[in-house]
Amino acid sequence: MLSLTTGLAPLVLAGLLGWTGAVKVFSRGTAQQAPKTALARMLRSSERATTVLRATGAGELLIAAGLLVIPANPVPGAAAAVLGAGFLVYLGYGRTMAPESSCGCSAREDTPITWRAFARAAVVLIGGAAVAPAQDTWWSAVSERPAGALVFLAGAAAVLVALSADLDRWWLLPLRRTRLRVFGHPLLGTAAGNHQVPVAASVELLENSLAWQAAAPVVRSALLDHWEDDGWRILQYSGVYGDGENARPVAVVFALDATAGRDTGDDPVVRVSYVDADSGGAVAVDELGAVPSRKSLPMAG
Amino acid sequence: MTVRHDRADGMRRRRFLTTAALGGATIVGATALGGLDAEAAFAAEPSLDPAIAKSTFVEGRITGITGSVLEVAGSQGGHSRVQMTNVTSVWKVRATTAEVIEVGDGLYARGVKMPDGTVAADAVWVNIVNLDTQIRGIAKNRLHLAHGQHELVGHVAPDASASYAGRALTSDLSRLRIGQSAQVLGAWRPSDNSVDVVRISVGH
Repeated sequence: MLSLTTGLAPLVLAGLLGWTGAVKVFSRGTAQQAPKTALARMLRSSERATTVLRATGAGELLIAAGLLVIPANPVPGAAAAVLGAGFLVYLGYGRTMAPESSCGCSAREDTPITWRAFARAAVVLIGGAAVAPAQDTWWSAVSERPAGALVFLAGAAAVLVALSADLDRWWLLPLRRTRLRVFGHPLLGTAAGNHQVPVAASVELLENSLAWQAAAPVVRSALLDHWEDDGWRILQYSGVYGDGENARPVAVVFALDATAGRDTGDDPVVRVSYVDADSGGAVAVDELGAVPSRKSLPMAG
Repeated sequence: MTVRHDRADGMRRRRFLTTAALGGATIVGATALGGLDAEAAFAAEPSLDPAIAKSTFVEGRITGITGSVLEVAGSQGGHSRVQMTNVTSVWKVRATTAEVIEVGDGLYARGVKMPDGTVAADAVWVNIVNLDTQIRGIAKNRLHLAHGQHELVGHVAPDASASYAGRALTSDLSRLRIGQSAQVLGAWRPSDNSVDVVRISVGH
């Protein structure tokens, strides 16, 4: 198994470096992504960052070609190990100095530097170190044990894909969707009493009501407190009634049907009262009582 | 009986206010669906309270709490002092009280400027965020969200609500799908940069 691993490691490493290198060198996205990378921050120039990214890509392609063509030679492996170590240092720097920036690891990636970027750089370092002293060629390893080689390569590819954040949408999201389909929606029935109208819906209904419009000039606070009593939902606000000398603090209380929402269909029925904050007496009873009720216009459909 | 100084006796106060609310005027009708007829709504003279126009807004991070005064460093620079009163509404994930406010929290406050420059707060929203996100994963008590280039964990608050295609808010979150664009109203957690999801709108 160990010989299979060291024998096939150049192939895996070449695949990874060939892919990331090709993306950096040939993708038009490199120049667009460069300003967002930690490298641009480090070099204080997007143009220089683009040049360095493209040069790194070319280096990666060169190492990949070396790994494939001259497998028993220690130079490509050693170069890959140095590259991996360089990536780790760069990622460490980027994470400390510019945690918000993207790593630019495959140039198309616009996710910030995470443990996955570190793990991938470590794979390059360890892979390079393992490959450098190897004497076997990868094609002899493949021809000796083709089935084992296939399984190993598939496993290695899966690990590398899992470590690449920019490939998530191709496998992670479909996987999560499938899991929901198989095991059911995790948020199904979790809310306490799924049929109950949430307080936010009552507030929404209130804010669409004529009662709210009538009381709005008095209300000063946002929702202060709410509770339910005998099928009513009570929403409490604080406010100020009157102008200048006559201004006095009031509690504004609304009572709504606890089961009604904006989609219930009927016109909202809201009871509203101003309560003097000091005396506890009702305020402006006549004014509120004089607000005429109004039917909403019938809507098409 | 005083309403303002009665926090300790919450139940009695609530019962009193319930009676007051149910004994109040009944107003039927909607404003959003019907034509907006201001004259009908304000059958009495419209109350153009000058204090409403004088409302000030304060936004920033809380750097210190002295008694009932919050010291706020504005995110565009500057410094404000926000005076909390016992009729100031406090939102932090839900309607709550001033005790839950901590140093380091983000704050958005509306109030009236006092002669000494302090803002007497009418309403305070703590750590409130409104994010344009994409749903990337759904688990039992959290959502994985992508906001721009950031991966974000959204803790689903027990009283979280959802709106589908502009319909009324519901506590049924089981119609959320992976890949949907979602507008998330929530509370940011400064400790780990995650968000408590309070309201999520999809298909808008």
